[in-house]
Amino acid sequence: MRMIRRIRTISYHLAAILVSSVSVIAMIWVISASLRQPGLPPPPVIEWIPNPISWSNYQRAFELIPLGQYLLNSLLVIGMAIPLTLVTASWAGFAMAQFTQGTQNRLILLAIILLMIPVTSLWLARFVLFSRLGWIDTIWAIIAPAMMGSSPLFILLFYWTFRRIPKELYESAVLDGAMAIQIWRVIAMPLAKPTIVTVMVLTFILYWSDFISPLLYIKSTEKYTLSVGLQMLQQLDRSNWPLLMAASVVMITPIVLLFGLIQRYFWSEKGIFNNL
Amino acid sequence: MLNYRRTLRWMLLPYLMGTVILIVIPAIVTLILAFTQYDLLSPPSWYGFNNFRDLAQFDDILPRAMLNSLLFVLLAVPLRILGALALALFLEHRRRGVGLYRTAVYLPTLIPDVAYALIWLWVFNPIYGPLNQVLEAIGIEGPGWLTDARFALPAIVLMSVFQIGEGFVVLLAGLHNIPRDYYDVAAVDGGTGWQKFRYITFPLLRPWLILLTLRDVLLTTQNTFTPAYIMTGGDPYYATMFLPLHIYKETFEDFRYGSGATMTVLMICGVSVILITVFVVLKGWRNQNAYD
Amino acid sequence: MIFGDPAERAAYEALVTAFESEHPTIQVQLIHIPSQSDYRARIGADFAANTPSDVMLINYRRYAQFAARGVLEPLGDYLDRSPLIQTEDFYPEALEPFYWEGKLICIPQNLSSLVVYYNKNLFDAAGVSYPNNDWTWDDFLETAQRLTQDLDGDGNTDIYGLGTEVSIVRLAPFLWQNGGELTNTDFNPTVLTLDRSNEGLEALQWFIQLQTVHGVVPNAEAESAEDSESRFMNGRTAMYLNSRRGVPTYREITAFDWDVAPLPQGKQRAGVLHADAYCMPSMIDDKEAVWTFIEYANSPAGQTIVAQSGRTVPSLRAVAESPAFLDPNKKPLNSRVFLDVIPDLKFLPIMSTWVEIEEILTEELQLGFYNDPAPHDIALMMSFRTLEYFDPPQR
Repeated sequence: MRMIRRIRTISYHLAAILVSSVSVIAMIWVISASLRQPGLPPPPVIEWIPNPISWSNYQRAFELIPLGQYLLNSLLVIGMAIPLTLVTASWAGFAMAQFTQGTQNRLILLAIILLMIPVTSLWLARFVLFSRLGWIDTIWAIIAPAMMGSSPLFILLFYWTFRRIPKELYESAVLDGAMAIQIWRVIAMPLAKPTIVTVMVLTFILYWSDFISPLLYIKSTEKYTLSVGLQMLQQLDRSNWPLLMAASVVMITPIVLLFGLIQRYFWSEKGIFNNL
Repeated sequence: MLNYRRTLRWMLLPYLMGTVILIVIPAIVTLILAFTQYDLLSPPSWYGFNNFRDLAQFDDILPRAMLNSLLFVLLAVPLRILGALALALFLEHRRRGVGLYRTAVYLPTLIPDVAYALIWLWVFNPIYGPLNQVLEAIGIEGPGWLTDARFALPAIVLMSVFQIGEGFVVLLAGLHNIPRDYYDVAAVDGGTGWQKFRYITFPLLRPWLILLTLRDVLLTTQNTFTPAYIMTGGDPYYATMFLPLHIYKETFEDFRYGSGATMTVLMICGVSVILITVFVVLKGWRNQNAYD
Repeated sequence: MIFGDPAERAAYEALVTAFESEHPTIQVQLIHIPSQSDYRARIGADFAANTPSDVMLINYRRYAQFAARGVLEPLGDYLDRSPLIQTEDFYPEALEPFYWEGKLICIPQNLSSLVVYYNKNLFDAAGVSYPNNDWTWDDFLETAQRLTQDLDGDGNTDIYGLGTEVSIVRLAPFLWQNGGELTNTDFNPTVLTLDRSNEGLEALQWFIQLQTVHGVVPNAEAESAEDSESRFMNGRTAMYLNSRRGVPTYREITAFDWDVAPLPQGKQRAGVLHADAYCMPSMIDDKEAVWTFIEYANSPAGQTIVAQSGRTVPSLRAVAESPAFLDPNKKPLNSRVFLDVIPDLKFLPIMSTWVEIEEILTEELQLGFYNDPAPHDIALMMSFRTLEYFDPPQR
């Protein structure tokens, strides 16, 4: 029996390692390609570790386009979008959790419908709208969705969290004469820390990856975010694979590091997705 | 107390207002523009149903784009849902190292679209790309992938199958919500693994699977834009021309906002039809199942 | 606002710096968009949002869509009033395509054309003599064949004799050299005539067979693995077809020596015009200041700066004949071929829907170039699919 169990454990891990490697293999190839010395003829056979290892592609990527500037722009967008998202999404979730059951159900339905709306269908009309509002070529056009909590999913996450907080907590505070905002700030939010972290990370990912908004609405090259910058680099030198892969790694790394920081928590029993 | 209720409503307001400004109004504007000619330079002029007629008559790329988008959904959605389900079942239980495995599976989903497209452009490079070099090392001559009209669309399906983190996480949560007692009872009755899946896991996961499938139909129609835009531009010979890219070109490159809006309306109708079909099929299949 | 490679960008930066030191009251901000299709989308969106750039560099194949919508300020009157430059200073071949409905809309900075860039080292290594000024199509093909080599004998071509973008502007000069025509007129044509003459079909077939039959040009897979321009710069393509705009980038090549040769000759002499012009939106406020910049950029001083970078074949006769362009110490040595071809230059049709037509033509041409259907079928598809853009139905 012990023998069989051990074999099962080993084969489980072997299979899991295989699955994991297939999943990340593209990334390994990319890192390897990004370290290849520029100007060498392309390798005739697969090359896992380039020889010699060269960091100059990273340097060149920052020289060829203002990648540093774009990185800052992306961070600025995120720096504005995260607090806005947290406030609007948690307010909406907080309010939702305290309405009558009927209203709650209607609002859940609304959120689900909103999740189902194809974003591509909104590009054009938003472009027309933003150009009338004078938002074209401003950061507002990119962070506009943060006004509505960035994604209906975030509203639902907060709603689910706040609904689990015992009603008596709110009610006694209301009897003490506390304002809704105070209850939100003093009671609700401190109890929602896991949700806050999750929404922050997801918001980060959302705006870090956003390609379409800056592509459509940002005009000045110095206001580009990393996504558009990367696309620009591709157009400048489309066959320079080591260079393009280096720039891609620059874009991926922060997000992977960030996820690495929270991954333990993300998969834990208390993780947000296990409590839906 | 009245005051408190009022404040609550105020707190909901930004979200509702944002929804109206960013979704409801644009949706209405799109619907109206679909019946106009508009190049943004001069005011839109009413054009009735003529946009629909012109598209049917002249636009020979549109049917191709519709077909490609449909084909993409039909190929990608089942693969993505089955993949997410299989991985969730495989990595469901807590064991040493499972967090790491789950992270590895989730990782491709984290990668920003543009970077993801560039990465796969390199992977699919027909001569120097790692994929074909690995295939060659094991004696298979790889296809031209994105340059071959037969393989270009499947290649984009393939890369989308790696980005299933969202479904994976949702199904994991769904699995964890199934009370353990059910399985314990089944174990006492001597049920096999397959029976457990068939009679406990699957029925309880069904609502999650339906929701995921609907959402995935939607996501996969939209998510063809960035890969097609960055990797192929619709080539070779429209093999990867999908609806969102075609709409983008019509609207933003050819300045035909009116007929771009018309296509958008057509796309929404098409997606709705697919969603309703999927919903009806999955639901009907549940009712039928209830009797066996 | 300009487009192009990083090395080209530097030329315009130098121009802006020189302009600002001469006109300290006017500030110029350079916007650089690398790709043509993004550039077009960008100009359109800018006009739509009522915030166009004050000056835009636009190719002659692309300005008509804006001119037809009346959003470009005709610059003919400005030029007539200018004390710095006169109409007669320009090559008429450069100005001609920029007349829309009888008015000069934009001021062209250059009149480049398609030439053959070649890698001298690869020619030497293969023992092939350099192209001379009156080589023929057959010489051209034979040269390309002798330079196409499989070095390690694995059945894959390692060095290609020729590289080219597969597009209608590349095909056009060969078509004309063979006596074919693309459309019935130069301005606002109503018919695509490619499928109406054997000369046209013959040229189309010859161009396509460079790849499909002779294999001297990379096939679709090889081209997508590494594009021909990059192959040329890395010394693995012997000849590359391009206009003058490649020069600033190629001057950075240190690994081999290169030069330019004229296109090979067919039945008659012909070359294809490549010209970009400075245009001014009609909706901007300070038109005089903007004209001051355009005037400066097209004055001998301005054109000299950009010409020195190698980017342009100057549209001002005086600058084109000067060392700024013909500098014997700078590559390419044989720059004069760009001037010799000027009398034979023809241009692609000027019409508001040309960009869309060209996109379709190029798509069909690529299908032919990489898959080898009969030339007649390609030409038929081209005619059929572009019908809606001639004498356009109101869309």
